[in-house]
Amino acid sequence: MKQIDKKVADSYFRERVRLIAIFLIIWFIVSFGVVMFAESFKNMTFNGFPFHYFMGAQGAVVTFIVLLFINAKVSDSIDKKYGISEEKNEQLSAGKALDH
Amino acid sequence: MDTQFLVSLSIIIASFALYIGIAIYNKAKETSDFYVAGRGISPFSNGMAIAADWMSAASFIGMAGTIMLLGYDGLAYIMGWTGGYLLLTFLLAPQLRKYGRYTVPEFIGDRFESHSARMIAALCTIIISFVYSIGQLSGSGVVIGRLLEVDAKVGTMIGVVLIAFYAAFGGMKGITWTQVAQYIILIIAYLIPVVFMSLQLTGNPIPWLSYGKIVGEFQQLDQQLGISQYTDPFLKGSKWQFLALMFTLMAGTAGLPHVIVRFYTVSTMKAARWSGAWALLFIGLLYLSAPAYAAFSRFILIKNVVGQKISELPAWTEKWINTGKLQIADANSDGILQWQEMVISNDIVVMATPEIANLGVFVIGLVAAGAMAAALSTAGGLMIAISSSFAHDIYYRILRPNASEQNRLLVARISIVAATVLAGLVALNPPGVITQIVAWAFAIAASTFFPALVLGVWWKRSNAAGAIAGMLVGLVVSLGYILAAKYGGFSVAGIVDTGAGIFGAVAAMLANVVVSLMTKEPSQSVQEEVYDLRYPEQMTYKDGQVWMR
Repeated sequence: MKQIDKKVADSYFRERVRLIAIFLIIWFIVSFGVVMFAESFKNMTFNGFPFHYFMGAQGAVVTFIVLLFINAKVSDSIDKKYGISEEKNEQLSAGKALDH
Repeated sequence: MDTQFLVSLSIIIASFALYIGIAIYNKAKETSDFYVAGRGISPFSNGMAIAADWMSAASFIGMAGTIMLLGYDGLAYIMGWTGGYLLLTFLLAPQLRKYGRYTVPEFIGDRFESHSARMIAALCTIIISFVYSIGQLSGSGVVIGRLLEVDAKVGTMIGVVLIAFYAAFGGMKGITWTQVAQYIILIIAYLIPVVFMSLQLTGNPIPWLSYGKIVGEFQQLDQQLGISQYTDPFLKGSKWQFLALMFTLMAGTAGLPHVIVRFYTVSTMKAARWSGAWALLFIGLLYLSAPAYAAFSRFILIKNVVGQKISELPAWTEKWINTGKLQIADANSDGILQWQEMVISNDIVVMATPEIANLGVFVIGLVAAGAMAAALSTAGGLMIAISSSFAHDIYYRILRPNASEQNRLLVARISIVAATVLAGLVALNPPGVITQIVAWAFAIAASTFFPALVLGVWWKRSNAAGAIAGMLVGLVVSLGYILAAKYGGFSVAGIVDTGAGIFGAVAAMLANVVVSLMTKEPSQSVQEEVYDLRYPEQMTYKDGQVWMR
């Protein structure tokens, strides 16, 4: 076990939080945001749908799925950048459960 | 007894044999296995298990019909039941995994160093899962009853026996692999009819791409019929109700104990993130298809049923009229069916589609098996949540800390059987419509666990008094609003009982913060543990320093 600079650890956390904040803003806009202004999208169409309907039935859901995969992928590369090894993580968390 | 009955029954029996076979094969031997499947499940399989756990009888049978009847307003369910996975995966799942406990009440009890908090959390888990499982059991009763041509009550009792059997003997490990099988069966059963319907109506086999055209055509069709526009927003409820319902379903998703416990079965924080992503992809396949089902069925009803002579309706309508799920009354006695003269139950859209599209006995049987898989898989997960709260959190952690492993396993099994039977009894005479009961469970989860978990993970200052105050305030506000809205006609900005979660969650959040700040901060070791959740497993926070292992 070796000590690492607190600043390095903090910047790991900041990068993760920034990522989550960006994703949650997009999450809010595609769902709550579009619903709040649903009436004004009524006359726009997309692939045959009125735009507000498209967002509710498909657009928002697809955005959610894509965001989760981007999050998983980008978080992996952040881990890699800070030298986190998944093998080591698995080892460490194997014994992490309460002993009972 | 006709061919259809025999085919449906054999497909259902074959699928049950598969599930029970898997459960017996994996018969849990150790407590650790029983609760969280030995923590070795890959994110891909875990994603399927979460998806099967998640998609209940209400999603499989009822959602497409709900959207068909509510139009745009029904989409709150689509966005609400998918968007919650972002809150869960971003804000809670990886951190809860690193903290490493067996159940949600265990996390709350240890994080807040309080047996009272643990007890309240265990009781909330039992209340939420119990309310939710009532809906599942009565849903399975409808399917079994219709299929065996017996009363729905008898169907419910058959469902109770099945669920009690494999949940009690398989444990979570049995359930994980059973649920993977159930997901595969239910998604195939859901997609085949909608693909064929898309092909028949639009010539394009991909429903997600093709049904936009159908939705677009409704504008003109609705005008001709003189009915309200299918895609116009907020016709069935206020905009605030839409937003409140959507929030309730999202926050409730992130606070449902039987879903959260799934994330304890993965090996690491990274695996928790991938599990969330795979889960939503698998769930999305069904949720993206439900509005297509709704559009195609509505189109067929308008084209082939409405405007026809009542004596010359297509043959499939007769069968559903006989079940009472489709009601037709010639109000103006012109011998022709008008849209307004037809009352359709939510339940028929998915179940009747194979008949409408003439897909044959095999597909009809497959859809029945898929509906059963959806009901049973969710009920199984709920029963595990109830039994672990009771056997692990209340019995072992509070009442009998020196109980042997065998003894605890026995208590877990007894509590599964007891909970299933009890929920089955209530399901014989459910206190409301199934989707309504399910929404109450989400409102309670959004008001109790969601605030307690988010603050517990992200704010180290949150303490036992704050968490207890938050959970109790959330419980009282959400239950109070549900009762006042349902029975007292009370509402704020048009928000009805199903949107109660927004008030409960905000009140609980405030109570947690205010009470935490007014009382003593948590112990140093707990604050360090919470700080430690910022980092992956390999980094450890201790005495203001970060160590890399």
